[in-house]
Amino acid sequence: MSETNSPILSVRNVRRAFKAGERNLEVLHGVNLDVAPRERLCLMGSSGAGKTTLLNIIGLLDRPDEGQVILKGQDAWALPNSGRAGLRNHTLGFVFQFYHLLPELNALENTTLPARLAGARGARLREFREKAEKSLIAFGLGERLTHRPGKLSGGEQQRVAIARALLMDPPLLIADEPTGNLDRTTGDRVLNLLFEEQQKRDFALLLVTHDQRLAQRCERVVHMEDGLIQADSVTPIPH
Amino acid sequence: MYQTFLSFRYLRARPISWIGVAGIFVAVAALILILSIMSGFLAETRSHLRGSLSDLLIQPHLDRNLMHEGRSILPKRDVPGILEVILADPLVEGASAHYTWYGMLAAAGRERMQSDVTFGDLALVKLVGIDPTEEGTVSSLREDLVRDSLISDEQVADPDDPFGPIPGYEPDGRPLDKVLIGEQLARFWGLRRGRTLELVTAVLDPETGSPREAVSRSFVVAGTFRSKNNEFDLSTLYLPRSVMADWFGSGRGFTDVAVRLKDYEGTKTEAQKSLANKLHEAGYLHDPEITGGSEIRTWEDFQRSMLAAIENEKGLLGIMLSLVLLVAAFSVFAILSMLVQEKRRDIGVLCALGATQWGVMGTFLMIGLWEALLGTLLGLAAGIWSSLNINAIEQALSNTFGFQIFNREAYAFDHIPTVIEGSGVAAIVIGAFAASLIAAALPAWRAARLNPVEGLRHE
Repeated sequence: MSETNSPILSVRNVRRAFKAGERNLEVLHGVNLDVAPRERLCLMGSSGAGKTTLLNIIGLLDRPDEGQVILKGQDAWALPNSGRAGLRNHTLGFVFQFYHLLPELNALENTTLPARLAGARGARLREFREKAEKSLIAFGLGERLTHRPGKLSGGEQQRVAIARALLMDPPLLIADEPTGNLDRTTGDRVLNLLFEEQQKRDFALLLVTHDQRLAQRCERVVHMEDGLIQADSVTPIPH
Repeated sequence: MYQTFLSFRYLRARPISWIGVAGIFVAVAALILILSIMSGFLAETRSHLRGSLSDLLIQPHLDRNLMHEGRSILPKRDVPGILEVILADPLVEGASAHYTWYGMLAAAGRERMQSDVTFGDLALVKLVGIDPTEEGTVSSLREDLVRDSLISDEQVADPDDPFGPIPGYEPDGRPLDKVLIGEQLARFWGLRRGRTLELVTAVLDPETGSPREAVSRSFVVAGTFRSKNNEFDLSTLYLPRSVMADWFGSGRGFTDVAVRLKDYEGTKTEAQKSLANKLHEAGYLHDPEITGGSEIRTWEDFQRSMLAAIENEKGLLGIMLSLVLLVAAFSVFAILSMLVQEKRRDIGVLCALGATQWGVMGTFLMIGLWEALLGTLLGLAAGIWSSLNINAIEQALSNTFGFQIFNREAYAFDHIPTVIEGSGVAAIVIGAFAASLIAAALPAWRAARLNPVEGLRHE
């Protein structure tokens, strides 16, 4: 497989169990999944199917009991903490259902936070700030740059969160129910923005959702049930 | 560094964080102020305890034989000889031979009845026979004689010749010998220059050195002195040494010698040893190997228990007040623990965006660092400022509340003394800083150990 076609993410035989009282409850029973570069993949499944657990493992926030997560050719869970933190910063972008902006920082500061975490200072940080400012203006938040999250609507907060997730140009963006906390109109606007950015920037998008309408806009839909991937369908969608 | 940026934002956005700063500020300022006041009290008390004492006091065991040039003899008792040996020592600035004995003071005439009843327990006094010229080289007696006095005729007529003629004193018969008396003792006894007093004492047997018979003798007050040591002033009378030697005889020219050193703090031990050896060789003191050098003592040896008590008090107060610092450190711990609990979601977000565990720990540790830095610096400034201006502060508070906070009558000084000790202040600052950082370290470590997944779930 050539460099360009090799998956950006490979999940290999991932297992994860949690203690539930005396019992060991296995949530993932050996999941395998590949995500190709620029792919738009929708992960669906009922509550308790193991989507969020899988997402946390892919996002390098939760360690699997077994198996591998290969990100850009690196076995992520074999890396030291600092190596995984670097991957989270440069290779992954996160968009959460509840936006998760830091309330003490304004929109622009929230957006540039990944650059600060990467150690950017001085001129480099100023470059990232300009980039973040441009993104926020492009997302219709030009008047809201210095507003703190408490002064922004849900849709605005999610747009800031998307700008933040894309600041470091990650090749894979993970979005966990990105419209789950928004009304339908606002949710549609946010989704449109996300898909437009994907087209512009060519990153792979892994969406977790219950929303069938949203799934219809993805070229690949993966269904999880009882800790395993039960169906994996590809429907080419004209971009 | 994002840790600095985030920690400063958290500190700025959370007014509760300032409670930690305030706690450290109050603790540091209070500790510096109390330490400065206690050091001031100690310095002032040392100075008062010392009063007109010389640096060293040589007290030979005059009635015990010593070995000199192979013979067992009584120690030599001549003043010129011992002064020559002492003054030949390069460490010595001056020396004064004393003839010291004890007696009872009794006012003469009709005042005696009243004073005996009223001040009977103050009647025991130390009689110190001096040569004023020699004494001027070892003690502050000359300055003590010319101190301003509210009652002008208590002072001596001529400080350079305190036992000289007394203006207005016209004796009935043979002029009485003169005595200098402490200003406070004079007031208690209603004595002033030109008045007579009676001294009752016991004369020693020249053979055995034991008290032989009680004698009394009248003296005329030549004037008063006032050293900084009240106890000394209330219990000491100066007389001419020649008068004492004649009165008590026993073949002694002196009983002890006061010595002033050129550099007391730097050479006191060396001078003690050197003088002990030289005076032993010359036949004035016993072998220091046998006596352990007990015949030469510093002024501090005489006041050791009092000085040790104040030092001890200072240490105890420091320890007790350090509890304030512990409370301040605990407030940092409590506030930071609360913040970590409150910021669990943010910690999850930071991890998701690429922060390491150390980075998260550093962020919260940095909040403790800001609190420690601000609290310590503000406390340092306030502590030093209040130490320098304590008397003005006390006056302002006394005026505001309508009563005197510092009772000047209870102390021998009329102001609150303060001494800012660099080492003590440094210890407080470093201690406060370290305690705050240690208090911040535990919640910061907890923050680093938090599971980011649980943090992201936390609402």
